Amino acid sequence: MNTLTTIDELGFAPALQQDVLEDTTSDHALLEATRSGDQDAFAELVSRYRNQITSYIYRMTNDYDGAVDLAQETFVRVYRAADRYQRSYAFSTYIYRIATNLAISELRKRKRRKLISLTGFFQQSDGGEAKEFNPPDTRPLQDSDLVDTERRNAVQRAIGTLPEKYRAPLILRDVDGRSYDEIARILETSEGTVKSRISRARGFLREKMHAYL
Amino acid sequence: MRKNTCEEIRRELDELMLDETCSTAAVDHLRECGACRQFHEKQTKLRQIVGSLGTVAAPADFDFRLRARLASESSSAATHFSLFEWSFVRRGLTAAALLIVFATGAFLVRNVLNRPAGGGEVAKQSAAPEVRESPRPAEAYRPVMPESPKPTVVNQASNKRLQGNRTERSTQLALRNTRTLATLDSASTGAEVINGAQPVASSAAFPIDASSLATFRVSVDDGRGNAKTISVPTISFGSQRLMQHANQFAPKRVW
Repeated sequence: MNTLTTIDELGFAPALQQDVLEDTTSDHALLEATRSGDQDAFAELVSRYRNQITSYIYRMTNDYDGAVDLAQETFVRVYRAADRYQRSYAFSTYIYRIATNLAISELRKRKRRKLISLTGFFQQSDGGEAKEFNPPDTRPLQDSDLVDTERRNAVQRAIGTLPEKYRAPLILRDVDGRSYDEIARILETSEGTVKSRISRARGFLREKMHAYL
Repeated sequence: MRKNTCEEIRRELDELMLDETCSTAAVDHLRECGACRQFHEKQTKLRQIVGSLGTVAAPADFDFRLRARLASESSSAATHFSLFEWSFVRRGLTAAALLIVFATGAFLVRNVLNRPAGGGEVAKQSAAPEVRESPRPAEAYRPVMPESPKPTVVNQASNKRLQGNRTERSTQLALRNTRTLATLDSASTGAEVINGAQPVASSAAFPIDASSLATFRVSVDDGRGNAKTISVPTISFGSQRLMQHANQFAPKRVW
């Protein structure tokens, strides 16, 4: 892979040469092309996955700016490790695994730093599970959109209180709609463990979101 | 039995995607079991809410920032490499300097340790060359040597050192330090003149009493008044060992 010296060497041009990069080009082929120095191929990979990865990390960390940074770090790692990429798994599995590891590292860093988060205020003193801090507003709402927005915010915060081992599979399954098999590969665990963790995560969420159900 | 059925049905419903249809057995069970129906409704609603979170779009400048990041990382990687290289060289130089200092120190310490303890005494004795030959080694060797010329001046201090419990190296060093004393001057005594044409085997060998010698010096006269002095550096004939076993050859009660 060629070494970059200037920004412009990366051809992230918005107008991609569509005759060269067909939409049907597989992720593997794009990464192969990236490995051989084709910057357009990498730009296509980025455009395919940037929203998914940013969204996934955002759901994991509940911090949009941090999620964007980590998503970029994910792509940087993919680019750097393009030479070592193996085609044994789907590229989506590969990139989601990197993103998951980064998100979990970030969550652990935050835990070490003991950042004071809004949800942290409502964590039990004995270290137990955090409770949903945003009680349902009983006043009549003027617009059904507001209800939906409020509900989504609540569930996002509730997901943020889940332990990280339950959070990732739940998001991958219920938000991203991935199969158990793929989630197991991303998280490098068994399918049974994934099913069990998702079931537990839903149980936690049911308790936290009972006012909305 | 019913509890087990409920658990199985709930697990089945839990594993399905929202848009997937459940089995007829599950549908029948939900129709009959109110608790499972309620569970299923809540679970479906929860999953719909979670699913409604959808995908958050990356910012518009995502690509630009990623480009900048990759470019800056590649340039910083080059800088990092040169720094790494420099630090490697610096470490190597430091290690080499330390090695040199250590080797020098070890050499000096070794020299100091090998220096004879009684150096001052030897120096004092060297200033007084009146010391006569010690009779013991001469007597010890007398039975095995045929008529050897007696050395005129022999240092007694060197004999003492040989008898001491020291290493051979330190003994040699000590002898080297007292080189001026431990000499045998044979120039004053007559020696058999060997003719150059005469075969060596036919000439009589003249023995040398090396028991008390550190440096051997021979003066050779060519018969026309031209004398040449040959100095041979320290000669070791294994005298230490000979002296230890000399009792075997020496007559009884000599020591």
